[in-house]
Amino acid sequence: MSSDSNEPAEGLHNDAIHSDPTRDVSRRTVLKGAAGFQLAAVFGPFDGILGFVTAHPDGTLVDAAPDAIVQAGGSRISQWLTIAPDGTVTITAHKGDLGQGIRTTVAMIIAEELDADWEHVKVVQAPADNAFGNQGVAGSGSTSSMFNSITMGLRTVGAAARTMFVEAAAARWGIPAARCRTEKSTVIADDGRRLTYGELAADAAKRTPPAANAVQLKNAANFTLIGRPTAHVDNADVATGRAQFALDPVRPGTRYAVVSKSPFIGGRVRAVDDAAARAVPGVIDVVNVGNGVAVVGEHTWAALKGRAALRITWDDRGNAGLTSDGIMAAKAAALPDAPPIDIPGARVVASTLDLPFLAHATMEPMTCMAEVVGDRVTVWVGTQSPQSARQGAAQAAGVPEGNVTVNCMLMGGGFGRRGGNEWVREAVTLSKRLGAPVKLLYPRDEDMRTDNFRPASHHRLRGAVDASGRIVAWQHHLASGGSGNGPNQNLANQARPSYNIASPDLQAVGVGDPLSVGAWRSVSHSQINPANEVLMDMLAHAASQDPLAFRLANLTNNRLRGVLELAAEKAGWGTALPPRVGRGIAACAAWNSYVAQVVELEVAVDGRIKVRRVVAAVDCGQVINPLGVKAQIEGASVDGLSTALGAAITVDGGRVQERTFAEYVWFRMADTPPIEVHILTGKSSSAGGMGELGYPAMPAAVINAVFAATGVRVTRLPIQPADVALAGAPTPVSTAVSTAVPTAVSTAVPTAVPPTAPPPTTVPPRPTDGPGTSSSKVFLPWGGTGRP
Amino acid sequence: MARHAFTLNGQPREVEAPDDMPLLWVLRDLVGLTGAKYGCGEGVCGSCTVLVDGAAVPSCQLSVTEVRGSAVTTIEGLSADGSHPLQRAWMAEDVPQCGYCQAGQIMGAAGLLAAKPQPTDADIDAAMAGHVCRCGTYVRIRAAIHRAAQEARA
Ligand code: FES
Ligand code: FES
Repeated sequence: MSSDSNEPAEGLHNDAIHSDPTRDVSRRTVLKGAAGFQLAAVFGPFDGILGFVTAHPDGTLVDAAPDAIVQAGGSRISQWLTIAPDGTVTITAHKGDLGQGIRTTVAMIIAEELDADWEHVKVVQAPADNAFGNQGVAGSGSTSSMFNSITMGLRTVGAAARTMFVEAAAARWGIPAARCRTEKSTVIADDGRRLTYGELAADAAKRTPPAANAVQLKNAANFTLIGRPTAHVDNADVATGRAQFALDPVRPGTRYAVVSKSPFIGGRVRAVDDAAARAVPGVIDVVNVGNGVAVVGEHTWAALKGRAALRITWDDRGNAGLTSDGIMAAKAAALPDAPPIDIPGARVVASTLDLPFLAHATMEPMTCMAEVVGDRVTVWVGTQSPQSARQGAAQAAGVPEGNVTVNCMLMGGGFGRRGGNEWVREAVTLSKRLGAPVKLLYPRDEDMRTDNFRPASHHRLRGAVDASGRIVAWQHHLASGGSGNGPNQNLANQARPSYNIASPDLQAVGVGDPLSVGAWRSVSHSQINPANEVLMDMLAHAASQDPLAFRLANLTNNRLRGVLELAAEKAGWGTALPPRVGRGIAACAAWNSYVAQVVELEVAVDGRIKVRRVVAAVDCGQVINPLGVKAQIEGASVDGLSTALGAAITVDGGRVQERTFAEYVWFRMADTPPIEVHILTGKSSSAGGMGELGYPAMPAAVINAVFAATGVRVTRLPIQPADVALAGAPTPVSTAVSTAVPTAVSTAVPTAVPPTAPPPTTVPPRPTDGPGTSSSKVFLPWGGTGRP
Repeated sequence: MARHAFTLNGQPREVEAPDDMPLLWVLRDLVGLTGAKYGCGEGVCGSCTVLVDGAAVPSCQLSVTEVRGSAVTTIEGLSADGSHPLQRAWMAEDVPQCGYCQAGQIMGAAGLLAAKPQPTDADIDAAMAGHVCRCGTYVRIRAAIHRAAQEARA
């Protein structure tokens, strides 16, 4: 069974979402750093006041926690917990939220063991601070590490604090602690006397925390919060527009910067003619940052216009001949020859699968706000690695890390993209140079081309079943980037299927990618699992068996069996479907969690694909928040559909071709089918990872469904209409994102077409992002405002 | 540079800005209302959506000159306290993941409900076609729009 909880790579995370939407979830943090200066971790409040929350000129925000709570008579129980006199429990989340719901999960775990009254829990965000240990979010590891560890996890944090409240109450009453119980932020004596945590906070804070191994954790049967569908703690802020992302805090004198990075893969700036850019009203400065040029303006619009006016000569570093076809061909060529499977009497299958580069394309592109004052640096950034952001900022400013405050903002998506710190270093450099706060934005096209892409990979899949349908051969040979050149035993080991296969033949070869590659939601599982699940499907058909029954016959893991059976049952597996409609099933076992997904789709005669339904069953062991688990599977399912049917990063002429969501075609409302998620519990008491789990089965479920619908075995993603059109049927023309027609995309399949709009051969000034100047196809579905 | 007058969240507002400056940057960089988000700057993602005279539009595609005399409503102005039916529905359906697209999604839905108080699924598909949610929250967005519409009917 592949279980990679110690996978080092970065990807999204697991977890959960929720809260009572009606309660005030105001949270603004101003912490005092060890050095005594303000650490402003800003999350917007929800305080009933219309308008934007503005920082005071000194960088503090209006009513913040936890120091403000202490100043107002509250007490700090630990670095995680501050209690106000009115009993409000403020929990400091040390891990950043990028949509995985970790702020909610952190609070739920601590509040559960603390017996806090959830209606009066607030969550604030810790800045980068080594006192919190690893603050990184990667590898679907947060919830597992926070929940499962008995002595090091967050349960202990809550339980230790609870013990301190009980001891404080017992001392006040002069009775043994054993005569006290807790409930809803209140200690209750066996004679009915009660004291609230608010009333006890000052006493509790003075007590010595119990040793970690001395605290009593709850039996899971007694959980009242963990396992309860709980809405995301940031919902109210998001729904009112007050949620704070990196570029949202308002600071006086702020300058606005955008970058222009090399359109050539690995390219550098050779020369810059910035005369026209500097002549743009409002442009303040133009700065060469090595692999690109930053333009700073009085507002973002000036900076964008300045960027469009730049004349940059690029050094293509010899990469101008690169194409994605060539890159893929090199991968296929790197696989060592393997003789065909030759087993007398066996039915042999063989296919290949090519998976493309993928961009993270987070909804919020890379951004960072920085303010350098003397030798002090303050940074506002959404980061999957606060420690890395702090290091980068310190290096860029030439100051010790202790002089740097990193305010960890909400992240507009991460998926593995926000582990780096290039944009942090650039923002700090610019702020230092300009002597002003700088908000640095990577415009969408820059964000897309400077990504660390999910590597492209080529998979050679072969296998055989004997006359009785038993698997007698399994070959999965793959070549992928991102892991050096040459044989890669580690990657080959990861390719081990989740089914019972006797001596699978697994080989992996690394072929260095010219593009910068990195971790993308589920990392290598995103490549390996689709290939394995496609091969499994091919073998089922070779054995003339139902793909579900075949899987069940070739596994021994009960949790894997459980999700496959549940997903199939809920999806009506085996019931009749109309012509050219098919169901595909696939599973994934990773991060100590299990999922199976059934995709039902229809393939039109011209090859366009409409997804009708997705049904998922998941077993992640102890569920912290069912709403969060479902959200992660829903979202990752959309990722799976989008990348199977629409989105890919391609290279031509040494340049990434996709600039924005017009070409990197993601699913939209009309494309997205109903997605059902069913949770299976009771098979494990530990919490598995959830943030990435929903992706790796999906591409295979789509490919297998297309096979069921058409008999065509797809060999590359994303699926092109021409690959699956009925012979002789006209295939649809490229329809990516079209013109200002109100219903342009509304009924279309997610435009499973190759990316469009090859760029010009010379590097022109890029179009300015804004009215009337964009050369890209503009999509305006809204009536009455047709803008060019 | 010129002065431009329009109504912003119910209040008269005047800004000094270049004529071609998109409303998005006027709101974010000049006025300090940061609820509307930048996602593409080219009208292909919907993150920046606001209401102009009641219609949902991508604010990155509308210059400040073009909103002179118009009534602009941003997410901050949808309700004073998060009590708008759409905001409540968004919370009740636990829609947001990262949250970045959601102000735009809510404003897109507000434009839809203003025009069609009881939208069908097809209406929702058409009205929301300009919006990307990279976290894939569409199923819950659809449910939230229906919930808000239902509440209005009740
Ligand atoms: S930022 Fe305006 S539509 Fe994307
Ligand atoms: S919630 Fe993250 S992009 Fe929509």
